[in-house]
Amino acid sequence: MIHFDQVSLQYPSTRTLALSRVTTEVARGEFVYLIGHSGAGKSSFMSLLLKRALPTEGEVRVAGEPLNRYRGGRVSVLRRRMGIIFQENMLLPQLTAYQNVAFALRVTEAPRVSSLGTWNERVGTALRLVGLEHKRAALPRQLSQGEQQRVAIARAVVGAPALLLADEPTGNLDPENSRDVLRVLERVNESGTTVLVATHARELVESRRHRTLTLRRGELVRDDAEGGYEL
Amino acid sequence: MSLLHALSEHLQSALASMRANLTAVLSTLTTITLTLLVLGAVLLAGQNLNRTLAGLERQVEVAAFLEPGADGPALLKHAEGMAGVAQAELLSPEQVLAEMTRDYPYTAEAAQLAGNPFPATLRLRVTSVDQTRVVAAAAGMLRGVESVEFGAGYVDQALGTLRTLRAAGGLLIGLLLGGTLFSILNAVQVSMYARRGEINVMRLLGARRSFVQGPHLIEGLLLGLGGAALAGIILLPVAGLLSARAAELVPALPLLQGTGPLLTLWLQLAALGAGVGLLGGWLASGRYLRELE
Repeated sequence: MIHFDQVSLQYPSTRTLALSRVTTEVARGEFVYLIGHSGAGKSSFMSLLLKRALPTEGEVRVAGEPLNRYRGGRVSVLRRRMGIIFQENMLLPQLTAYQNVAFALRVTEAPRVSSLGTWNERVGTALRLVGLEHKRAALPRQLSQGEQQRVAIARAVVGAPALLLADEPTGNLDPENSRDVLRVLERVNESGTTVLVATHARELVESRRHRTLTLRRGELVRDDAEGGYEL
Repeated sequence: MSLLHALSEHLQSALASMRANLTAVLSTLTTITLTLLVLGAVLLAGQNLNRTLAGLERQVEVAAFLEPGADGPALLKHAEGMAGVAQAELLSPEQVLAEMTRDYPYTAEAAQLAGNPFPATLRLRVTSVDQTRVVAAAAGMLRGVESVEFGAGYVDQALGTLRTLRAAGGLLIGLLLGGTLFSILNAVQVSMYARRGEINVMRLLGARRSFVQGPHLIEGLLLGLGGAALAGIILLPVAGLLSARAAELVPALPLLQGTGPLLTLWLQLAALGAGVGLLGGWLASGRYLRELE
């Protein structure tokens, strides 16, 4: 699903080498942690996948397609194939949970009826997946931080992406809410979606083990199929 | 998603965005209205000026004095076919004397003493002032034409004035349209900045640029059309009153009269407002998205 081949990334403005010759693969349907200290290169790794940054060297491929094929207007095509979750849930405060999830279908101009169901059915399924169908009418401020993040996950998966990227999804959450969010991400993974979680939450990575990639100062220093938090 | 449905969604987004930034919208609308008001006044003045100048142009004549014994009817026929000639007329020496006597009564007394001094004359009206010299030169070359006269000083001055006024009018219109464009650019950028969170999410979710830009194009269009509508509401009655008053005072002035030309002017303003609004919305939203990416 994800293929990094000798990928380096240097930010031209600061001359900082954010990633150095990273080579790795993530197979379809895997659940993978990407760990490292602050500044290790986790967000740069994610930015390359989102095409918010371009590699200085090497090649990044998603679902077999080199990302340099996605230029200009085609970047939106790439992003529709991915779900994205950030530390800040980025929900729109004036919209209900239901409307926030439906927003993803609206802005990607998804057909009102498709083989995946109607918009209403799809939003309902996504909210059910994250355990919040009963709060569909709630505004973000009426939800806890953990619930808000779960709505953000529902919004990310409502388009049925093949890949879900989560950049520090539990960064603002207490341990209990963090575990809830992680369980939701595992449920998404069980439905066949590849999940990549960038985090520095040790207890999370230790408590629910999955393959773990460790970055240190831009280099991939460990790829552990058994998981565990070791920097 | 059908085009109609998409347009309806963009319109709702644009209206919501305008409501959320009401101060900026009102400020821009005021600027656009004032600019289009001045622009409308300049266009109206320009049209009236053009009509007056065209009236003057129609009065410019070239007089070709014929040699004694010249074949007047043949020369008239030839002159009628010349480029730049709108109308040609052959005057006999007697007709010229009669005209001169009407304008200068002492001419009759001089003619009684020394005989009719005037030759037969071809009087040529030109299609436009800038054709005067060309027609005069061509007429002067005709066999049987002794000499040619036209108001060279007047023609040159009129041409110079016409060119200067048209250039100044064009420049003023360009500046006013530029001012309108910048107002709209500013308004759309303020609106996009206020929606930056939403736009960021849209782009990350995979919204196409055109989808993000749609509401802002409509916002620019609405601002342009709104400004044109308000400018028309103020300008049209005032212009109608002024031209009616001017027609009473100086009936000879060929000013635009009636509602037809004024409504046409309003439509022109609306088209300009809409065009500049769309262009402003497109440029501002495109620039904002480029900065975001």
